[in-house]
Amino acid sequence: MASHGISRGAGPVVRSEEARQKELQQITAYRDLADLVSTKMAERQYTVQVLGQITKLLNENPEYYTIWNHRRRILIALVAEEAPRQSPDELLQGDLQLTFALLRKFPKCYWIWNHRNWLLREGEALMGAEAAYKLWSGELQLINKMLHADSRNFHAWGYRRFVVSQIERLTPSQHGGSQQSLAESEFEYTTKMIKTNLSNFSAWHNRSQLIPNILREREADPQTRRDFLGAELSLICEAINTDPFDQSIWFYHQYLLSILSPSCPPHQLVVQDLTNGERQGYYEHEMQYIREILEDEADCKWIYEALLGLAEAHMEVDAGTGSFTTKDMRAWLDELKRLDPLRRGRWEDLERRLSL
Amino acid sequence: MSLVSGPGRGGMAGMPVEMQLFVDKHVSYIQSLDTRKDELEYWLTEHLRLNGLYWGLTALHLLGHAHALPRTGILDFVLSCLHESGGFGAAPGHDAHMLYTVSGVQILATLDAFGELEERVPGGRQKIGKFIAGLQDPETGTFAGDEWGEQDTRFLYGALNALSLMGLLELVDVEKAVQHVHSCANFDGGYGTSPGAESHSGQVFTCVGALTIAGRLDLVNQEKLGAWLSERQLKNGGLNGRPEKKEDVCYSWWVMSSMAMLGKLHWIDGDRLTRFILQCQDPELGGLADRPGDMVDVFHTVFGIAGLSLLKYPGLEEVDPV
Ligand SMILES: [Zn+2]
Repeated sequence: MASHGISRGAGPVVRSEEARQKELQQITAYRDLADLVSTKMAERQYTVQVLGQITKLLNENPEYYTIWNHRRRILIALVAEEAPRQSPDELLQGDLQLTFALLRKFPKCYWIWNHRNWLLREGEALMGAEAAYKLWSGELQLINKMLHADSRNFHAWGYRRFVVSQIERLTPSQHGGSQQSLAESEFEYTTKMIKTNLSNFSAWHNRSQLIPNILREREADPQTRRDFLGAELSLICEAINTDPFDQSIWFYHQYLLSILSPSCPPHQLVVQDLTNGERQGYYEHEMQYIREILEDEADCKWIYEALLGLAEAHMEVDAGTGSFTTKDMRAWLDELKRLDPLRRGRWEDLERRLSL
Repeated sequence: MSLVSGPGRGGMAGMPVEMQLFVDKHVSYIQSLDTRKDELEYWLTEHLRLNGLYWGLTALHLLGHAHALPRTGILDFVLSCLHESGGFGAAPGHDAHMLYTVSGVQILATLDAFGELEERVPGGRQKIGKFIAGLQDPETGTFAGDEWGEQDTRFLYGALNALSLMGLLELVDVEKAVQHVHSCANFDGGYGTSPGAESHSGQVFTCVGALTIAGRLDLVNQEKLGAWLSERQLKNGGLNGRPEKKEDVCYSWWVMSSMAMLGKLHWIDGDRLTRFILQCQDPELGGLADRPGDMVDVFHTVFGIAGLSLLKYPGLEEVDPV
């Protein structure tokens, strides 16, 4: 009912009588199967046979959420049988295969992701923490495959964060220490994804989520934190230089500026003891770098927006700066209006806000 | 999304062809939806029937043809989806779920039929309210979709929306829900499905909508979110859902209604967007698609028309952005 990217073709579709008959047969077969499953479920026939019919139905229509519920009802009944024919692990592996195959075909179907999540949570209740740890760890491979096929799939990214939190929760603690974190390897993963495609904002976003944890776990001292910030800034500056028209990059740049600001919430800070003098240093360095890029890319609106953002941040910590003038700001704003007429109303509001 | 009483139907005469909305075609397209039982797609989308009905009904209201679908027939169908638990399923025989419960309540509100609900199902309003309230997570304040436990800010918004339409917000912990939404905020001003998730226009709509219902828009970083939303507009006039993604008519609604709630609709080019949405019409058989030349469906039809309504396209009824 919500179709995406399917071409309408030219003119109304006229089905041949043959095609019409074929479609009617498909409808009958589909409805018979759906009715059969509903009847069996109403009769509480929670059997392996019905599970098989449900598999068939879900392969035809994975969006049919009630059928997923039926599937779970049967699975719960099957593992609770006095003399189960299949172990919980066998049943679970069967469903992991089913959902994997379906996700390859329907990567954006909420119900499939949801069922997989349910399976693993149930698995822990039935088979214990050690087995669950292995299961959740295995999920990262599935997610890697899904993100290889579509590096922006937000189901896969969301599931990834959840899976990581489950692995961390279940990691056997070593030497009585606290739980093991995957933050470092996840951070490396975002680096890899970004290097493959600078435009992958999902990876940039996840990176921003991991940074505070990494620094905490590294027990980073103030100097290490400054080095870390410096490395992130050079990474993003390099990216800006590569493609100054990509908005993913600029949003990450904005993120780095936001953690420099005195109004940044404490738990997101990268450097906790920044002085205003240091802030000015960062702002001036960024401004200088971006102005250099401007020389080659005078028609890139993101550059002017960033310069105005930096100017505003600068004024927040120092009113009497010498690195730019009100005249500069006015010129940048004029460029924004010229290059980006779609958002003219926004630039006019900005003009008023900055009293330019 | 609900309707507010707006201006009556205006004339579209004198509009250049590329600026025309094919109202009559869209009305017949929506009327035809329930007659397509000889198409496999009709049966494969049964799990969306109640939402589809709400989308079709809303589109008809916006087009000024509120009575193009029979009121009694709709009411009978909606109530046939209501379970003893107070939740609605997508169609008779489908399990209850938040998504369909919200659509059920929205249809009842659109038809002004809460009185008839009580007549046919005594205590119905309270029952529905309790079903929804029972899905709130007392620890985090967010909501599950059903007994199987999937949680998402979509369900939280749906819960607050349906409860406020029924005047039953007091059944849930609104403050906790608000705090949960706040914990889903990202540095770019946007919101995701859960804390830590990437900002996404659909989720921005649900979170800003929830905060609007709760009267807590003060928690939104309005400058940043407004900027992020305005960057959804692409050169062709259409809106996308996230940075560096393709345009799609359904985002006309998610993005624009969020901007309307923040009072920042003027941060994008309405004329260009209007043209883009109109290009997505099927001029022959009616309906709107995600992009020009694609297959139409009722989902993109209602969100495209609702988008046009926010853009004050002449002759359309006014839509409430929440
Ligand atoms: Zn769409």
